[in-house]
Amino acid sequence: MESLLQLLSGFETALTWWNILYCLIGVSLGMLVGVLPGLGPTAGTAVLLPITFGMEPVSAIIMLSGIYYGAMYGGTITSVLINTPGEAASVITCLDGYPLAKQGRAGTALGVAGIGSFIGGTVSILGLAFIGPPVAKIALNFGPPEFFALMVLGLTLVVGLMGKSLIKGMMASVFGLTLAMVGTDSLTGVARFAFGQQNLVNGFDFVTVAMGLFGLSEILTNAESNVKAEKMPKVKGLLPRREERGPTLAAIGRGTGLGFLIGLLPGSNSVIPALMSYSLEKKLAKDPSRFGKGAVEGVAGPETANNAYCGGALIPLFTLGIPSSPTIAVLLGAFIMHGLTPGPTLFQTNGNFVWAVIASMFVGNFLLLIMNLPLAGVWAKIATIPTKLLFPIILIISVLGVYSVNNSLWDVGVMLAFGIIGYFLKKGNIPLAPIVLTFVLGKLMEDSLLQSLTIFHGNFWAIFLRPISGTLLSIAIAALIVSLITGIKKKRSPYLDGDVEM
Amino acid sequence: MLLFAGTIFGISLSYDLYSDLGPGPGLFPAWLSGFLIILSLFYIWESIKKEVILLQKILPKGKGKKKVLTLLGSIVLFILIAPYIGFTMAAIVMLFMILIAEFKWYWGVGISTAISILLFLVFDSFLHVPLPVNAFGF
Repeated sequence: MESLLQLLSGFETALTWWNILYCLIGVSLGMLVGVLPGLGPTAGTAVLLPITFGMEPVSAIIMLSGIYYGAMYGGTITSVLINTPGEAASVITCLDGYPLAKQGRAGTALGVAGIGSFIGGTVSILGLAFIGPPVAKIALNFGPPEFFALMVLGLTLVVGLMGKSLIKGMMASVFGLTLAMVGTDSLTGVARFAFGQQNLVNGFDFVTVAMGLFGLSEILTNAESNVKAEKMPKVKGLLPRREERGPTLAAIGRGTGLGFLIGLLPGSNSVIPALMSYSLEKKLAKDPSRFGKGAVEGVAGPETANNAYCGGALIPLFTLGIPSSPTIAVLLGAFIMHGLTPGPTLFQTNGNFVWAVIASMFVGNFLLLIMNLPLAGVWAKIATIPTKLLFPIILIISVLGVYSVNNSLWDVGVMLAFGIIGYFLKKGNIPLAPIVLTFVLGKLMEDSLLQSLTIFHGNFWAIFLRPISGTLLSIAIAALIVSLITGIKKKRSPYLDGDVEM
Repeated sequence: MLLFAGTIFGISLSYDLYSDLGPGPGLFPAWLSGFLIILSLFYIWESIKKEVILLQKILPKGKGKKKVLTLLGSIVLFILIAPYIGFTMAAIVMLFMILIAEFKWYWGVGISTAISILLFLVFDSFLHVPLPVNAFGF
């Protein structure tokens, strides 16, 4: 009941004209990012992050989270119409969406995906609104050892789930953590790894690193591979046939639950619920042979699941301050940049802010529904903009964006360096997501570890003796062992290869 | 990666691992880089034994190589010349360098000029970002 009242007051802020406008800009940009093949939500959010500097924190986060969930809608359109997923979560949608489009039923595929996404997105935000506060209350009892253990668990799950090789994943995450060590030590004030450079005393800026690793490296990879646009079919008729409605609704319902639950797990990504939902639908269907040839449930389930995942994935961020995916790590960076610390105290200290952001997501999902159902054809046209024109524009905007972080060309150079590093790491199949995740958590993790060691007079093993932190660390070790075993047995899904952007 | 980890490990040891107040600034970096050294060694061993990643595979080839190098070169040039000739001119040069490979030269000049001026107006006037400018103020 308390949550409901607070949510209503959140709507008061979210429904001001300015915030509706920012929400609209955010979701439109998200759609754009989702529609454009080769530009994922992480890169999109990172590129646009600097633009929000001059904005009010509430409006900034409303806009950035709009990009995040908007991209999930956008990716579907290109998957269905031109068989090219705009972002990783829509890969599964191609399997049945494109055959539907070839049968002249593109409208149905998009309609079902739009409705499913709306239902999944809205229900999971309701979940965030009602589950978030109690989780935050529990987390208020956490001390430095618990937070350290929680971060280790989150990172272990990320490493375990992403990429083909465990060693590569671990290398990437330790590399990210080490990068976070550059700059002034928060306990003693000693400048570390600055090499006499004034610019390095404050450490690397998150935006610069994220933009280099995700934005620039993606532009470089695309420049090399030459993404080409395809012709697309017409869109008409948005609803499924009468006999398909029952199974479709059931698929949407299952997708919602699945997506939300998987979102709660740190280290998951939106491809996992989509993939699981697809195989679940196939298993439950009366005639599984239809799948892959244009089954409406094959579009409805996964599309709902990846949108439901978005709301669920925000719970660890809002309540524990722990990002579960690279895009959320960028959002965490945005929170910090605007002077907010996500974590258990956020609901108490910045209650108005949190509820306004949550309320704006309802508004955003509604706007996306309108944008998607009648306007799908218009969005698909954007995907046909030649990349030879698009990528130079994105590049110059990235350069400007990075420059405006500190008004310094040094940052542009740092972005360039990380762009090159990211490009080669991608080629070597070393996942980039763990680098960004650990980089953003590095300082927090070091602080909580050092505080714990101070509490325990330097005895590291004492962290294992506290009930919560001990349990969390044990789960982390177990997860590591399990992924080691599956790694040896080579049972990893091909969809989780390399980098998965959410 | 091994070199990187080794360097960081060396430097970490030069900081205090423990101070009178408790754990010192070098402790966590030393742990991390030590761990990274072990992982890098493992990785080298794995790549030699299982999947050999050839340098040729990682480096771009042919037309792609030219494009990647042009992109990188244009950013370096931008960083070098922007403080002297201002953002707008530097951005025009940078974009023109990239676009000339794909468009006729007059289109290249037109598109890069239009985009640069538009971005200058948006960032300088609307978002109030103090961009580098030349003697003429752009």
